[in-house]
Amino acid sequence: MADSNSAGSPEISRPYWTRSLWVNLVRLGVIGGFFLLWEIASGRWIEPFLISSPSRIFTSLIDNIQSGTLMEHSWVTFKEIGIGFPLGALSGIATGYLFGRSRTLAEIFEPIIMAIYGIPRTALAPLFIVWLGIGIWSKVGVVFLLTFFLNFFNTYAGMKQMDQEYIDLARLMGASKWKLTFRVIFPAVSPYILLGVKTSIPFAVIGAIVGEFIAATEGIGFFIRLSAGVFKTADVFVGIIVLMCMVIVMNKIADLVERRVLQWQTQTEHVQIQG
Amino acid sequence: MTNEPVIEVDQVSKIFQTPKQGKVVALEDISFRVSYGEFVTVVGPSGCGKSTLLKMIAGLTPLSSGRILYQGAEVRGLNTKVGYVPQESKLFPWLTLEENVGFGLDPRRYSREQREDRIRNFIKLAGLEGFEKHYPSQLSGGMAKRASIIRALVYEPAVILMDEPFGPLDAQTRMILQDELLKIWEQKRQTIVFVTHDLVEAVALADRVAIVTHRPGRIKDILKVPMDRPRNIFEIHRQKGFDEAYGRLWNIFRHELKIRLDQGQSLDTQKPSR
Repeated sequence: MADSNSAGSPEISRPYWTRSLWVNLVRLGVIGGFFLLWEIASGRWIEPFLISSPSRIFTSLIDNIQSGTLMEHSWVTFKEIGIGFPLGALSGIATGYLFGRSRTLAEIFEPIIMAIYGIPRTALAPLFIVWLGIGIWSKVGVVFLLTFFLNFFNTYAGMKQMDQEYIDLARLMGASKWKLTFRVIFPAVSPYILLGVKTSIPFAVIGAIVGEFIAATEGIGFFIRLSAGVFKTADVFVGIIVLMCMVIVMNKIADLVERRVLQWQTQTEHVQIQG
Repeated sequence: MTNEPVIEVDQVSKIFQTPKQGKVVALEDISFRVSYGEFVTVVGPSGCGKSTLLKMIAGLTPLSSGRILYQGAEVRGLNTKVGYVPQESKLFPWLTLEENVGFGLDPRRYSREQREDRIRNFIKLAGLEGFEKHYPSQLSGGMAKRASIIRALVYEPAVILMDEPFGPLDAQTRMILQDELLKIWEQKRQTIVFVTHDLVEAVALADRVAIVTHRPGRIKDILKVPMDRPRNIFEIHRQKGFDEAYGRLWNIFRHELKIRLDQGQSLDTQKPSR
């Protein structure tokens, strides 16, 4: 506390690695403390079938991995997301781009898209089951629907934000259509596109799980619902852990892509509010 | 310098349709010519339509009437034969300095080696060596401005249009860049049409100064600046011919101001005192 009175904040005066070590230690402490409290509470103050406990979850995680069931279910959910998410993201980005390029197209279709957007999209999930069956394709459909709109809106917003002067300049310098699209427009919109992709990641997972909740014979969503139905709370948490891992891995990949694509952007420092 | 015109602006008018004020005449009956290799500045108060004039020569803005000839052919649509330096640097933030500078170098016209050669030469000319791989966000305002200028020069368009390029810079950087611009221009002798609201800048750089009046923008006069070249921007006031040219320019402007004051128009921030 003593050095917080000096001109710089204490974080700056300390070397970088000390600060990062400190941050990590505190974070580990918080997580560890939470698990400890959970372990103690379970069975003592709260019924274990309600909240399970970290040790029970760990045991059941190992059991499920060894029996191979977890792998099977995870693979199904992974496939649904692995097909639906890229398809939804790419078509959302492409539609956003086309709307940005063609005013007529935007004028015709914007109200229609807004109307569809107004529907809570998970409400359409049962319809997908009716249309595409209870296999993976109905879930692919729901994942697609949820990712499409987020990517579409972000890309379209980016297109509308485009600085006309960049386009004028590029065209004056004789840029071809191809060059204009891939050297000017897409890079200019890329921060928006990446934001759309990143925000749609958890929604892709939600889409797959919702679909599996409604009607499925396999997948993590199915596994969670089944386990909850017979009060195997530890298994429910195992399923949740798998989903968390999926989102974390996808986020990490998106971060890597972002860092590469947006390396031209200035790294923004954390805003200092206190003096 | 030949007398053959590269740009002929012929009775051009521009009327904007605004929702609040209805029709606004931005430019009225503008006619002038620019010869090959000439440095022409266009000077006038803010909002007089001088930027619009540049945009029309570049084919970015359609005319309401009249016509503009570029190398003898009427400008219809985008005029990709001109180089354009906008008010802000407008380097593409996602490209490095050298990628920005080379953007206009058409691979069909220049081989890879020629392109690299040109980029290197112009970066050197602008004193930006060592920053080739930097992104615009890592450059200072003056450096970005230099890069923005050589980006337009590098593919050697016959005409460079500059829209108040030094407006947002501080006085020192501005002088240094004016000096550099003249030095580069003396080597390359491309035609430059340079828009500014700064009277000193207009006289210091130009062979001829076109004076545009406040709305509706008309060409009040075109003055020759009979000063020798090369010029010393840093001591331009001492150079023979400057005082006279500036005096004539100021006379015209003073007359303009007087008319506006007499009409009771406020001069932007200051109200006329009686």
